[in-house]
Order: sequence, then C-alpha cells, then structure tokens
Amino acid sequence: MDACTAVEEEVDKILQKFTGIKDHADRVLSDITNHVQSLKEEMDNSPPDHELTAAQVLIMKEALGKVRETVQRLAGDHRDIHTTICKLGRAIDRNFDSDFSSVSREDVFSGPEQVQLLNQVVCQHFYRHGMLDIADELAREAGLKSEEGHKEPFTELNNILDSLKQRDLGPALAWASAHRESLETQNSSLEFKLHRLQFIGLIQEGAARQNEAIQYARTHFGQFVRRHEKEIQNLMGMFLYLPHGVNKSPYNHLLDPNLWSEIYDVFTRDACSLLGLSVDSPLSVCINAGCTALPALLKIKHLMQQRQVAGIWNGKDELPIEIDLGQENRYHSVFACPILRHPSSDSNPPMRLVCGHVISRDALNKLVSSNKLKCPYCPVEQNPAEARLIFF
Amino acid sequence: MADLKSLEHPTLKVPYELLNKKYRAALKGIDLKVSHVRSAALELEKGLAAETVKAGDISRLLGGVAEHLSVMKRKAEESISEELQAGYVCKRRLEHLREHATGGSQWRRSRLDRMLVEYFLRKGYYGTATRLADTSNLTNLTNIDVFLASREVEQSLAERETSKCLAWCQDNRSKLRKLKSTMEFNLRIQEYVELVRADKRVDAVRHARKHFSNFEDDQLQDVQHCMALLAFPTNTELSPYKEFLDEKRWDRLIEQFRHEYYRLFHMSNQSVFTVTLEAGLSALKTPQCYRGTKERRNPSCPVCNESFNVLASSLPMAHCSQSRLFCSISGLPLNEHNQPMMLPNGHVYGEQALQQMAADNNGNVICPKTKESFPYKKVEKVFVM
Repeated sequence: MDACTAVEEEVDKILQKFTGIKDHADRVLSDITNHVQSLKEEMDNSPPDHELTAAQVLIMKEALGKVRETVQRLAGDHRDIHTTICKLGRAIDRNFDSDFSSVSREDVFSGPEQVQLLNQVVCQHFYRHGMLDIADELAREAGLKSEEGHKEPFTELNNILDSLKQRDLGPALAWASAHRESLETQNSSLEFKLHRLQFIGLIQEGAARQNEAIQYARTHFGQFVRRHEKEIQNLMGMFLYLPHGVNKSPYNHLLDPNLWSEIYDVFTRDACSLLGLSVDSPLSVCINAGCTALPALLKIKHLMQQRQVAGIWNGKDELPIEIDLGQENRYHSVFACPILRHPSSDSNPPMRLVCGHVISRDALNKLVSSNKLKCPYCPVEQNPAEARLIFF
Repeated sequence: MADLKSLEHPTLKVPYELLNKKYRAALKGIDLKVSHVRSAALELEKGLAAETVKAGDISRLLGGVAEHLSVMKRKAEESISEELQAGYVCKRRLEHLREHATGGSQWRRSRLDRMLVEYFLRKGYYGTATRLADTSNLTNLTNIDVFLASREVEQSLAERETSKCLAWCQDNRSKLRKLKSTMEFNLRIQEYVELVRADKRVDAVRHARKHFSNFEDDQLQDVQHCMALLAFPTNTELSPYKEFLDEKRWDRLIEQFRHEYYRLFHMSNQSVFTVTLEAGLSALKTPQCYRGTKERRNPSCPVCNESFNVLASSLPMAHCSQSRLFCSISGLPLNEHNQPMMLPNGHVYGEQALQQMAADNNGNVICPKTKESFPYKKVEKVFVM
C-alpha cells in the first residue's frame, strides 16, 4: 500500500498544479485580452486619422509589456511542471517492478500448440463463469474448434445454479435424480439434501399444506432411510409443532436460510466432482497462485543476482524457494524425507520403519550398517527388511 | 501487497507515458501560440515606434494581439484539460489498486479479467478484448486504447503500407533514437525492396540516395546488401538477397513494430498474464501431477487439468522441503489432530476419516484406492517428522 501512497502523492501534486495553472491561465489571459480589447475600443472610438499622443503611446507600450510578460510567465509556469511529472515517472519505477518478466521463460506459451491450449483453458474459464458471448468471440478470433462438449456441462450447471439462487429446486432435483447412481457411488447426499429443502419449503407454508408435505415425505424419503434415518426422523418431528409454528420449536434450526447457501456449495462441489471438474476455475487458481509466487520469485532472483549466484537457478527442475499458497491450494500430499530434505519420488518412495517413523528409501539405505538399522528418531533398532513401502 | 508491486507497473506506467506525451504536445502547442502573440506584439511595437502613430493602424494591430491572445487562451485551456484528464486516469487506476486490500475475491477476479484483456490485445484478439473490457467495466483500467492505436499501424503494415508506421516513427523520433531503434531504417529498406521487386530500379536508386545516405555505422552492411540487390533478379536463390525479397519480411516488420511500441511505453515483451500463469503453474506443480493414470490425479488441481498438464510439462516444480500431507478421503491435513494411519496394504489416511468409516461399517475400513477391506484394529500409526 505504501507504493500506492507514494505514487498517489505525486499524482495529486500534478493534478493540483494543472488545476492551479488552468484557473490561473484562464483568469490572466481573460484579463489581458479584455484590457487589449478595451484599448482597441478606445482606438476605434477616435477617428482613424487621429494621431496618438505621447501619453497614449506610453499606455500602449505598457500594455504591450504586460502582454509579453503574461504569456511568458504562463508558458514558464507550464514548463515548470516538467519536474513534477518526471518525479511521478521515477516514483512509479521505484515503487513498482518494471521487469516482472525476468523470472519467466518466453518460450513456454509461445508455440502455436501452446497458444491453442491456453486459449482453450481461457475459453472454458469463460464458459464456467457463464460469459458465453466472450468465450464464443474468443473461439472465433483464435480459430478454436468450438467443441460443444466443453460448453454443455457448464451451461447446464450455470442454469441450475441460477435457479437455486432463486430458490427453485426443480432443475437441481431433476439433475440429481438423473445422476442418482453416480452420486451414490461418491457417497453424496446431494439428492437427499435437495428433497429435504423442498420438504421444509412445504412445511413453512403452514398447517394448510400439511397433507401435501406428508405426501411428499412418503413419496421421496423412503429411498434415503438407509443412510439418513436420523435426519428423516428429525424432519418428521416438525409436524408436531406445525400448528404453533416451527420457528419456536427445537426444530427451528431446520428453517435456517443458510441451508440454501449450503445447498449451493454442495451442489457445485458434488456436480463438479461427478463431472471430473474442479470446483474453482483452474485458471483463477493458477493466476492467484502466480500472484503469490511471482513477488517471491522476483525477490530471490534479485538477491541471487546481487550475490552473483544467479546461475544456480537454471529454471529447469525446481523453483529455488518454497512458496506457501495456503491450505486451500494444496492438492497433493507431498512427503519430503526429513533426513534428505527432498520430496519423495517413484525411485525414492517413503518407507515406514517398524517403530512407525517414516523416512525415504535412499535415506534408509544410507543408515543401514551391518544389516541393522537404528531409527534416527527413537532408540528402536531393527531389521531394515521390515520397513514397509507406504503410499500417501 | 507485494503482488501489486510486482505486477502493476504497466497499469501505472502506461498512463504516465501518455500523460507525459500529452504534456510535451501541450508544451509545444503553447510555445507556438506564445510566439504568435509575441510576433503580433512586435508588430504593434513597430507600429508605435513609427513617426506618426495613427489610431486606425494601432486599432488593427491591437486587434491582432487580442486575437492571438484569445487563440492562446483557447489552446491553453484545451491542452491543460487534456493533461488533467490524463492525470485523472492515473489517479483512477491508483484508486482501483488501493481497493486490493478490501476487494477480496471480487477484486482478484477483476484482476484476472484485466490480465486477460491485455493478453488478448497482445495476441490480436481485439474483438474479445473490447467485449470483455465492456462487460467487466475495465475500459479505464486497462491499456486498451494504447493497443488499439497500435492495431491501426499493424493493419497498415499487413496491407503492405509503410506510411502510417513512418508517421509513427516521425512522431516518436527522439525517443526511438534513444532506444537505438532500427524501425525507420528497416521500413526504408522495405520500400526500396518493393521498388526493386516492381523493377523500378532507377527509382530504387533514387530512394536509396535519399534515405540511406545517413546510415549508422552498424547498418553499413545492410546498405551494401541492399545496393547489391540491384544486380540480382527478383527470383534469386542467393542469400541474403533472397531474404530481402521474402514476403515474410513484412511480418517481421510488424513484429518489430510491436516490440518497439511496447518498449516506448516501457511495457514488457511478455504479457502479465502469461508471466503470472507460469509462476502459478510452477508453484502448484508436483511430481504427483505427472504420475501414473488419470485416476490418481486430483480433479481440483489445476496442473492435473488436461490442458495445463501439457502446458506446465516444461516448467520447474514447486520446491518442497517439508512434508505436506493430506487425507485423501476427507481432504484434511494430517497432523497431531488427525494422525496419519496406515492400512495393512500400505496406504495412509487420516485417523478421523478412518474412524468415521469404521463406525459406519461395523468396525471395518475399506481402502478407497484398492477397495480392500480391513478391520480397524489392523490400522497402524505413522509418524512423519
């Protein structure tokens, strides 16, 4: 924020100066023009052959001097702003990095194939956000083959989510029952939660639609008894309080409007995982990660250059520093061997020792002496053959 | 805040350069008007110095002064308003950047849109860029006008026209000279080549005399090649003359123009979008994203996404010296509150998820990866340092 403040100060100075000079120029030039005009009128009023007196000539000369001085000063004032403008340029350069591209390799996204792939990703990003017209325009301009298959799932999901926002469960229920089997294999309770909300909706209408609610429960809840028995009991318990109002009963938590925002999230998550899609747009996730990573990378690059060790980072296999992207941006378990301080790989997998401690296989092999292994973390001595390969 | 510092230089520098340009133009304009006023004043002075000073003459001369003054006033007003406007563009962008602290995900989304607009412009997808800028209300926050201005010149070059690009070189002559640009020289060579191609060799020589005589030292060889070109037929197979006559030279001119145009505005040759994306993909990339079958990949991981997987293949991986472990059933981190537990088949999951599964399944746990079933009693603790 300091950076912004510093630059903004300079901008404000410039704006102030320009506003000042604008008003000033306006006033001074009006004055002097009026003065000259009035002198001219005076001349016009006397006969054209009238010879000017010495006094009149003097007045003229004075006016002339004034004209010259005014325009000169004005131009000078305007010229003086130059330093302020230069300062702004320097402030921007000082507070913002101009060479952000120094840590990147130009060739990564420049090949025709890469450009096409990237455009596809961008296109899907727009489909996902429901900006269909922009995606179509991009597909046209970039010459992408418009693949209906890519568009369809997002259009459908967006429609369902839109109606969920308007508290219309119909499309979502239709979708859930169409995909019932796949949802069940994922252990998803989406369909039940949708029916539950529909049922609560009927209950909220009051005792008048009581029979309808019972009918609804009979038709739909039966199939969920195996997994949601307890919750169904809770739901049916609401009937007890229906005449006096459920909101004053122990069941009032079921009327919580948060259930609606929850269903929105549940639907997004379950539908995306069913279709093999990520919940957030991969593009947004990457860019946000990049915004965290880039400053750190620039800094380390700068430091390495200062220490003249820039060659160490060849930019090929691994970033030089660890970048913490936060909990939500970790998608894979990474086991780093605590002995070798290096992530495990297929050739160097994690091994669980008999005592339960985990080290990598290379470290294990190095620690073995005369077919015995002492755990580096506890006193247990063991046979290295008993260590087990494990999978995270 | 660090991301603002690293990424937003062009957001501010480009409007600054525009302001600077406006200022210089205003300086010139106002100076011109001042000199007009001064010459009118000089006339008047001469008139006053004459032996007989007649009211009619003076009135005419005064009229001249007054007219020039009012022209100057108009000019000053106009140019200073333009400068102010350019200044307000900077101000508005700064205000937008300040919202970074409070804007949250909405702000980040608009940042992505801004990056995309710039990327589209650089790629030449002008329609998409303008549409996105309009939809997301970003016209003032992106350098769209600057790119649209360059588009005109690019188009004229694509139509084998040099005049617009030459005019641009003329406009920015002093800056281009500072950058040691060869743009104008290359354009002149192209004109010359076109004359040779059209077999107007005499005109070509005339053109060369006019424009090549003040070459720089390092351009001597090019000039020699150009002159030697006169001796060859237009379908020559000899290098370097073949290259001169190649139609692709026009495309290279467009490339060069783009390059110089960006340099003039202190813009990088790469878009913020691709640079950030590259850093982001690297930071997210793990060996797991490239291991084994698609089923083992995480559909939420961007690098496991089909297209990104290919794009990121040549990028460096994230650095990791500390274990970061998650339960693949619940997605929760494995730590002292959620002990990692190993099933007899070697797969590790979180204690919480396994306990829950055992409670639901009469004390049995099923490995989600191999579908084997084990009694919970056989699950063993794992210690990760």
